[in-house]
Amino acid sequence: MKLIKAIVRPNKVDDVKNALEKLHISGMTVTEVRGHGKQKGHTAIYRGQEYNVSLLPKMEVEVVIPDALATDAIKAISEAARTGEIGDGRVFVLPVLESYRIRTGEKEV
Amino acid sequence: MLRRLAAGARHGVYGRAVLFGPRISAYDTGVGSVPIVPMTDHLTSVSGGVPDAPTLRARRLDAARDELAAAAGRGEGGRQAMRQYSHRMDAIVQQLFAEAGPVSQSVAVFALGGYGRRELCLHSDVDLLLLFSDRIDEPAEQLLRRFLNPLWDLGLTVGHHVREVAEGRTLTDDNPEFLLALTDARPVVGDATLLDAFLARSNAARTATRAVGALKTLIAERHARFNDTLYQIEPDVKESPGGLRDLFGAQTIAMLTDPTLLAQGGSGARALEDAEEFLLRVRSVLHLEAGRHHNVLRHEMQERAAARLGYTGGTARQSVERFMSDYFRHARVIDRSLRWALRAAPTPVGPNMVRAADGVRFVDAGYAADHPETWVAAFQAAMDAGCGVSDDALACIQQNAGRFTPDAFMPTADHQRAWLALLKPRAGLYERLSEMHEAGMLGQVMPEFKRIDCRVVRDFYHKYTVDEHTLLTIRNLERLANATPERARFGRVLSEIHQPELLVLALLYHDIGKWKDDDDHAAESERLIVKMCDRLQLDEEERSTVRFLVGQHLRMSLVAFRRDTEDPQIVAHLAALIGTEERLKLLCLMTLADVEAVSRETLTPWKEELLWRLYVDTYNHLTVAYGDEVIDSSPGSHAALVSEVIAGRPDDLAAEEVEHFLHGLPRRYLQLFSHDAIYAHVRLARALAPGTIRTLVRKKGNEWELTVITYDQPFLFSNCSGVLSSYGMDILRGYAFTKPDGLVVDWFHFSDLERFLAMNEGGATQMTKRLEDVVAGTTDIAARLKGREEGALVPKLPGFAPVIHSDNESSPRYTIVEIVAENALGLLYRMSRAMSESGCDVDLVLISTEGRRAIDVFHLTKEGKKLSASQLTELTANLQRVLEGRS
Repeated sequence: MKLIKAIVRPNKVDDVKNALEKLHISGMTVTEVRGHGKQKGHTAIYRGQEYNVSLLPKMEVEVVIPDALATDAIKAISEAARTGEIGDGRVFVLPVLESYRIRTGEKEV
Repeated sequence: MLRRLAAGARHGVYGRAVLFGPRISAYDTGVGSVPIVPMTDHLTSVSGGVPDAPTLRARRLDAARDELAAAAGRGEGGRQAMRQYSHRMDAIVQQLFAEAGPVSQSVAVFALGGYGRRELCLHSDVDLLLLFSDRIDEPAEQLLRRFLNPLWDLGLTVGHHVREVAEGRTLTDDNPEFLLALTDARPVVGDATLLDAFLARSNAARTATRAVGALKTLIAERHARFNDTLYQIEPDVKESPGGLRDLFGAQTIAMLTDPTLLAQGGSGARALEDAEEFLLRVRSVLHLEAGRHHNVLRHEMQERAAARLGYTGGTARQSVERFMSDYFRHARVIDRSLRWALRAAPTPVGPNMVRAADGVRFVDAGYAADHPETWVAAFQAAMDAGCGVSDDALACIQQNAGRFTPDAFMPTADHQRAWLALLKPRAGLYERLSEMHEAGMLGQVMPEFKRIDCRVVRDFYHKYTVDEHTLLTIRNLERLANATPERARFGRVLSEIHQPELLVLALLYHDIGKWKDDDDHAAESERLIVKMCDRLQLDEEERSTVRFLVGQHLRMSLVAFRRDTEDPQIVAHLAALIGTEERLKLLCLMTLADVEAVSRETLTPWKEELLWRLYVDTYNHLTVAYGDEVIDSSPGSHAALVSEVIAGRPDDLAAEEVEHFLHGLPRRYLQLFSHDAIYAHVRLARALAPGTIRTLVRKKGNEWELTVITYDQPFLFSNCSGVLSSYGMDILRGYAFTKPDGLVVDWFHFSDLERFLAMNEGGATQMTKRLEDVVAGTTDIAARLKGREEGALVPKLPGFAPVIHSDNESSPRYTIVEIVAENALGLLYRMSRAMSESGCDVDLVLISTEGRRAIDVFHLTKEGKKLSASQLTELTANLQRVLEGRS
């Protein structure tokens, strides 16, 4: 199993969701996050006063999927979230050691 | 002589009125229903032929007096006997009035004071108010003469007050005794509605407060004359502490603030009635024994009164002592109730309204029940006092709201404005509107709102019914005033909005369209708010603003949370749709309040940040980037606006003329000016020769507008603003546009602080003439402004440091300089002059002020190009010097 963490533009979340659903991946966690990568934010000016906006609002989409689906999922996310501009985000893939269903205590393989 | 008498009475001792509407209506006897007690037979069957009218009248009065004197002699000259005597006096007054003959206008006679209360004593003054519906002309004076002369001939002491209904307006400047006398006014004969009309003209809001305040002062002064003690061995039954005046004082306070007051505390209602009866009987004896208006219980009078009132048995001295002990016990009862009334009376907060411990209440609920137009004042008073509307008042509203149509709540322009004023967002508004809603009043005033009462729309994010969601948006808005540090930036935006009440109005309607199971509720809401705009008689600008807000209320959250806001095109589109900074601010706050009211969790700091960034980007687009978007022949939303302007043109303008004028102006121009204003500009620009200047000065509300159309030349903008400043005008807003062909459209919105234009008929011409002279170079504006500038440069309040921000990146064509500084006379002139002196062309300007802060954005070029880095540095340094008053 793999945990896929994708940091995407807020306006791309729906596209990412739809793309994952096409792969029959329906369970996911979406979180509002703030951060920066290479795109370090910029200085905005309001009424002549500068203020720093180094942490940018992004969305984090997390899914846990079978290893076999990982490549397709990464591709689907990347395509759905891409604009070609700086700030499109990142996809991280982490191994998942074990997973339990809380209601039943059942261990998933 | 009568003219003098009438005038004397009008400007005499008496004076100020209040809206005692409830009291008057409570009497509501009209003329016909005042009982006329038949006179006894022996009066009319006098032998020796038919007596003439004066003789008959004198006999009637004598008979009435004899009747009261007899009762007084038996020690029974109390309430009942005085009531009877008052009725008899009414009959005489009615008869005299009838004999005085008709006049062309409505007239009425009202009894005041003790006579008004039907407690006329044997030798009391007969206090009358004569009200005329129109001007007191010669026929009216003749009527007065015919009416009053016989009264004097009867030997009565008449206190008469003559007023025209229109004089109700000046009652607030009159003195308090008259105001208090009016509380007892009772119609005797004539058109009883005149008093309501008279009082309705007065400024009613402060009068009840004033009446109670005046009464308290008069009581304190009178008590001081008696050394503040009621235990006088020779007391004055009327004036002494514990006397009849104190009793009336307590009753008046109760009447003005809470009719049940005297039953709630003090000596209680029953003991008070007994005390009144006792004192009235004593007073009757005093009048009888003295044979004149005399109220002091001197020693010899005490003996006579004791005997008349049945204090017999034992020695004369014992009788008197028992009588006087009773007197003091009764006086103590009155004193105790008066003290209670003074201590416990709720504070009047408006006509027929007091603030009590449980909130704002109606003094006379019966009156309030029939006057829904007064209800809004109760909610306003509650907001002002920081309390609620009492349960009693809400119950009254709830029981009666259903009887009235929306128009009944706002019959006049003043009421309409009062409704709008109530909607200003501040602490307590949500609670007051909720009270109003629960009492069924909001739905009567805004029948459209009724459609979302407890309306449930099942989706996965809204957590409250539609009506409560709507009201919560308003709570969110009012809380911005005391926002947390993270929210403070939105709070500042709120404080900058000129008419925040329009935002609240738009919020009240934004989801009303959800009554329908329809996808596009915003369009339905926009359709419905038009009805409310009609009721409130909003002007075109206000109407268009609220319609825009309601119709577009989802737009900004859609863009902020669902679109790529880093795409400049997206922001440009939004800016084009919104058009002005003011609307942007309104829509931004509307979005914030709306999202937060969906559920507790919906508005996250993350969403707030997205919304804020979109706001800033759009704001910057509107103020900085607009210069590069000019009206041309390319397709787009501006093309549709241009077509609209051309299509709607009046007959005297040709399509090509309008099109040619618009071509090259920034697209924002189309959103900043109404069609009529644009047509006026086209006319001004017609056949304009270089070197000439065309102007238009117009009054708008309390402020003024100056439009200048000419071809550009150095120092033009600074000359225009300098001339305005030289007349002391405070420039509030403005725009300056320059077309590529050099045509300039400058527009200034300013307030005439020194009332120059208001006081001088030819002021506008004089001002524009000076502008022409200054532009032509025949007058030096710098010299004219010098004195004023020196005054203005002296800081009067601790100011804030000016901010100059220069931007050579945002626009390919212009260097942009944004200045935020403390507003001061001539500020705009000094800044633009410094720019012109540096050789810059001032191509575009946006001027705005928010309280003490002036925010001005200049688009500059030098010899047709952007400024170089070194030129910009030099300019910024010059501006800094100017702003610091160093040049």
